[in-house]
Amino acid sequence: MIIKRRKAGSMGLNLTSMIDVVFLLLIYFMVATEFKTAEESFPMDLPARDAGQTIMLDNEPLVIVVESAGDGQRDVRIQIEGPWDSVATVEELTQFLRSNKIDEFHVTGLFTDAHPVLIQPTENARWEHTLATYNAVARAKYTNITLDAPVTKLDVLQ
Amino acid sequence: MARRGNPSSTINANMTPMIDVTFLLIVFFVVVSQIVDRDAVSMDLPAPEHAVASIAELEKRVVVNIVPKEGGLVAGIVVGGHEIAWEALDELTAIVSTRLQGGAKEVHLRADRATKYRYIHQVIEAIREVGTTPRLQLVIDGEKP
Repeated sequence: MIIKRRKAGSMGLNLTSMIDVVFLLLIYFMVATEFKTAEESFPMDLPARDAGQTIMLDNEPLVIVVESAGDGQRDVRIQIEGPWDSVATVEELTQFLRSNKIDEFHVTGLFTDAHPVLIQPTENARWEHTLATYNAVARAKYTNITLDAPVTKLDVLQ
Repeated sequence: MARRGNPSSTINANMTPMIDVTFLLIVFFVVVSQIVDRDAVSMDLPAPEHAVASIAELEKRVVVNIVPKEGGLVAGIVVGGHEIAWEALDELTAIVSTRLQGGAKEVHLRADRATKYRYIHQVIEAIREVGTTPRLQLVIDGEKP
């Protein structure tokens, strides 16, 4: 007679179901997670609106009119009000503002870095074009930049 | 005489390292998914070239999202999880005012790159109505193009 000996039982946990659940959780979180992209911002002081108050500016602000000529990032038309040369791109605007600023390199410049700059987008100007212009002014290191009420296209740009 | 054959050998993969890594991944995704900013509505933010903007401060802020619609139009406004219809801009002033009194220092304005300026100006005017002088932050995409 053959007597079979039972093997010593191994106390192994069955991990299969746990691994199934863990993988399901992993897939869920991988699909559901939305990584937030880093955001940056331009600061703009917003004066409170007080009825009847008039603010006297030391300097006549430099008015820059912005209009969208298309949906592309560079399809922007810029016009500086006053007897200034026309600028075609935001880079030219930065260059114009830099070259006319009073600093250690341009002692004969016209504007200080605190000179008020008023950006007047048209009603239908795209937000990206408005901010591209804002950025162009900020790149020239002007600090007093304001977004003005929208103008209609016919008022300023032909 | 009965002969006993060798029991068929079973090959067991060692699952321990894989489970370790998997748990680490799960913990990572659980933690990261908590960080996702619920104030921010998904939209295509402007990304100016050579932007000189600074990293947006995440503390003590009110985020005003102008929810975009096709063609540069606006579907509504979302402020701190509150959805506001475009026709009810008074509510925006009230909510922003409450949040500023509650300790918020800045108002972050998020708008899609295609949104027309006339809508954004109305929102800025509504924020101005709060009476104090909040600092407005115009939010752009931080990823350099």
